[in-house]
Formats: sequence, structure tokens, C-alpha cells
Amino acid sequence: MGLNTYISVRDLSVSYGGQRALNNISIDIPDGKITAVIGPSGCGKTTFLKALNRLIELHDGTRVTGQVLIDGEDIYDPAVEVTHLRKKVGILMQRPQVLPMSIYDNVAFGPRIHGTRKKRLLDQLVERHLVEAGLWSEVQDRLHAPASQLSIGQQQRLCLARALAVEPEVILGDEPTSALDPISAQRIEEHLFELGKSHTVVLVTHSLEQARRLADHVLFLYLGDLVEQGPAQDVFDRPKYLRTRCYLSGRYVECPNVDQELNLRGKLTTFDQLESTGHSLRVLGTGQVLKIIVDHYSGDNGVAKALEAKGHRILDVKRLNQSEWEILIQKEGGDAYEI
Amino acid sequence: MDLRKFEERVVKSLMIASTCIVAGSLVFILATILFAGLPSLSIEMLTKTPEGGYYLGKEGGILNAIVGSLVLGVTATVIAAMVALPVALYLNVYLRKGSKFGLAVRFFLDALSGVPSIVYGAIGFTVMVWLGMQASLLAGILTVALLILPIMVRAMDEVLKMIPLELKESSFALGTTKLETATRVIARQALPLLLTAVMVSFGRGIGDAASVLFTAGFTDSMPRSLFGPVATLPLAIFFQLGTPFPEVQARGYASAVVLTAIVLFISLASRFLMRASTKNQSR
Repeated sequence: MGLNTYISVRDLSVSYGGQRALNNISIDIPDGKITAVIGPSGCGKTTFLKALNRLIELHDGTRVTGQVLIDGEDIYDPAVEVTHLRKKVGILMQRPQVLPMSIYDNVAFGPRIHGTRKKRLLDQLVERHLVEAGLWSEVQDRLHAPASQLSIGQQQRLCLARALAVEPEVILGDEPTSALDPISAQRIEEHLFELGKSHTVVLVTHSLEQARRLADHVLFLYLGDLVEQGPAQDVFDRPKYLRTRCYLSGRYVECPNVDQELNLRGKLTTFDQLESTGHSLRVLGTGQVLKIIVDHYSGDNGVAKALEAKGHRILDVKRLNQSEWEILIQKEGGDAYEI
Repeated sequence: MDLRKFEERVVKSLMIASTCIVAGSLVFILATILFAGLPSLSIEMLTKTPEGGYYLGKEGGILNAIVGSLVLGVTATVIAAMVALPVALYLNVYLRKGSKFGLAVRFFLDALSGVPSIVYGAIGFTVMVWLGMQASLLAGILTVALLILPIMVRAMDEVLKMIPLELKESSFALGTTKLETATRVIARQALPLLLTAVMVSFGRGIGDAASVLFTAGFTDSMPRSLFGPVATLPLAIFFQLGTPFPEVQARGYASAVVLTAIVLFISLASRFLMRASTKNQSR
């Protein structure tokens, strides 16, 4: 299950009523792993998550550009059946929201709308998924009681069972433990960890601890930009960019003072860029910062690599728009922005 | 003296005074009709139709009007609800919140709610004349249904607006269509308040005299056919109070007691229904 589900986000931008919430995000989300999305409040984490199953469309005035490919299919293609997409991509919300029906019906709701009618089959499904979500023993004797009578922690586990009942391949979690008491939170976390073994899990969390415990892979979003992403170990232990380092160490995210700017738009080859950058760096003092703007860049840009090899430090790479990037380079030897 | 404290006291007193005016009005209305009507309210009035000379003070009752009003009111409410619920669901589930079309529809509904009921009556009458119909139960039902439709839609609309986005998201996230979310989740969540909206509209419909004046007509016999005239309580009150005979006028007040009792009963029943049907609602 889940192994051929491949989520690939290409130049995804989302705006609400003209206000940008996500800025040209491009990323491949690893299969069958837990990917944590971290970042301060309002950085677009939830927007990113809800863009993956098109729940974002329920909000007013949203405009989505770019592509989200799941199994090679652009989910924003008008030909895509959104109900199929959402069956494949389940979500666990921040606050559990049970449906206005019994515990049993909450779990059976999804399978029913997707065509399972036989009572015996539904009974099995309900039991299996309630067991899977760790709720069965607490509710097996009151399956037909209203779901709203459950405690909030139980409701969240019910929501998990409900999401699992449609057999999704991807599970999205929007800070699913943040509204819960510590014990309920821990239980949900354990379930997510188990699910990560068989599903692709994308988990938005504002708890760095939780991300450290669960994540195989980490994305750091800041003000709608994808700042840094990579294997959890790398991002947590050796964050590349200044903004990531600030955030991870609990500091106010600061922007370095730029001492010189260099525009490399239209410089077509990496060599040209490297040459010009080298010249500019030479005139700067130790620890000073150069900002360059380039119009073609890939994740492992030659310029950045070469400069780092020389001991200079890439402080930040910011995507300005579809075709332009801003790279902040600190001249070797400096420690002004060390944390 | 502390000015803020003074302000607080004055405004609070004014609020209490306003509340007393509202409560007092209801007590006054009830007291008046009970005082004037209760003495002539009898089993006979509730169980018999008017016999010859009823309006001159002779034998009979207003059973025809009670039954007529209930049949007309219930049917009109059911018809209105069958139209209102889809409209309200469409406005809230299918249309985006800022939709121009939705705004326009809501504006027209608000305007329609403000149209006096005599105008609905006149329109119903005009259409009847075009179609060559006489005053009938059917015409009354349709006119009253039309009268309460905008009120009901707007009441339901307000109820559905309160449904949290998170609930819709939770439902859509399972891969439901809009229809499935609208009927199986949203309508279900809102059920108690939707029932209240229906009941309030029923109360408005059953008590309206002007809309049925030309359309339903009046008769001293029980309603038998959709195409014959039908008696209604508001008109029964109107005709009885309009006679010069004190004992008939007293019966008019008694009829008012009956009508008020029906509306009051509906109001209580809706509260009861609301409580009984909230067991599954999520918080």
C-alpha cells in the first residue's frame, strides 16, 4: 500500500483573496515515510496540507496555481474526480470534528458513500478500524451512542478510524495532537508513527519535539516560502540556511544585513555566475553579506556548491517568483550570523 | 458620584424597562383574549360547525375553521419546506460564500419577506382569476406557502450559515460529493434548528388572515375538496368580531384563544422536538 503513491509538488502557489499564502513551492514528498512540515504560525503549513487534497478549495477566494502530482496525475486537472482524490488522501484535523451521528456510523460513513452496503462487511470494517485507532475497547459496547459524547481525545481517535476506513494511501495530519491532552496526544502520535510504516504521512506540526520524534523527512516553511527540506536528521542537526537555524533554535527569524547586491539575471551559465560572484565577494570584508539574484537555479546549484567549497557560507536561498531566486552569501571566516 | 456607575445604572434600568414592555405586551394580549373569550369557549364551539344563524348568536362552533386552518397551514408549510430546504442547502453548500448570485437571492428573499401578506393575497387572487378558479383550499395553500417561503428560506439559511467549516471539511475529506455532505451531514447537524425554522414559519402562516381572504374564501362547512373554499381561524375571528352582537364577538375572542393556543402549542412542540433531536449533534 502506498508504495507507488508519489506526491510531487510543482511551483505551487496559493493565495487567499489576493494575499499570497504559499509561494512557488516545489518538492517531492518521499513515499511511505513521515514528512513533517514545520514553521511558525501563519507560514502556510495548513494551506500546504489542504492543497494536497484540495480542501483548500472550500475556503473563499482561493487561487491555486502550479501542480500537485499524485501518482503522476495533476490533482488540479479539471478531469480529476475530487471525491476519488480525497478518498486516496485522508486528513486528520487540528480539532476533531465528529459527524452528527453514532460512533458506528462515523466510521461506516466513508465506506458507505464509497459503495459498501453489506452490514456484515461494514461491521468488520468498523471493528477493524476502531481497533487500529485504539478506540475499540472503549466503545465496543456503545457503538450506537452519539459520537459527540466521546471525550475530545477519543473523538480524535474516532476521526482517525473514520479516515482510515476509506483506506487512504496518504494521511495528512494538521497538528492533530495540538488540541489534545498529553496522554491522548501521545496515543495519536504513536498511531501516526505506526501508520508511517505503511502509508505516506504528511504531518503539520508546530512541535519541533514531535517532528524530531516522528519525522523521516522535514520541510520548513516560512511566510509562504519553502526554506529548507531534507532528511530529518540533516535539517535538525545541520540546518543549511539562516532562517532554519533561527527557527530551530527558537530565535526570532532575522534577515541578515546585505552589504552588496549583485544581479545575475540573464547570466546564462554557472561559470558566468561563479565568476561574477567571486569578483563581488573579493571586495567584501570577512563576514559581510552578498545578495545575488539569479534566474535559473536548481536545488543543488553549482554556484552555491562551489562557493561553499571555498568556505563561504550560503545563508539563505529564497525563491522570488517562478524564475528568480535570491541567494545570500556570507564571505568566509565570518561569524556574524552564527547561532 | 461615579459617572460610569451612573451610566451603567441608567442603561440597565432602560434595558429592564424594555424587557418588561415585551413581556408585558404578551401578558396583556393573552389576558385580553382570555378575559373576553374564555367565558364563551365551550366544547360545542370546538366540535361543531356553524349552524344556521351562528353569526347571529345561534347554535354551532368553529370546527370548520380549526380543521381548515390546520389543513391549510400544515400543507402550505410542508410545500414551503420542500422548496426552502433545497434553496437553503444550495445557497450554503454549493455556492461560495461571497457569490454574487447568492447575495442577489438573499436580497430578493429579504425583500419578499417584507411584502405585506395582503399583496400575496391579491396576487393569488389575480392568478386565480386568470386560471378561472374560485376561492379554494388549493389556492389558499399555494398563497400561504408562497407567503412563508422567503421567511423559511432565510431562517434555514441563517441556521446553515452557522455550520462550522470544519464539519464540512471533515465530510468532504472522506470523498463525499456536495449532495452527500449537504443531506447526510449538514442537514443532519442542523436538523433541530431547521425544524424550528419550519415551525416558526408555520406559526406565521396559520395566523395570517389577509393572504387567505380572497384565495381560500370562507365556508361554514368542513373542508372537503381542494377545489372548494375553506374556512380559516383568522377569518373566523374577523367575521365574528365584525358582527354587532356581543355574544358573537365574545366567540370571536374565544376563536382567538384557540388560534393562539395552536401557535403556542407549536412553539412548545418545536422546542421539545429540538431537544429530542439534538442527541447526535457534534459540538
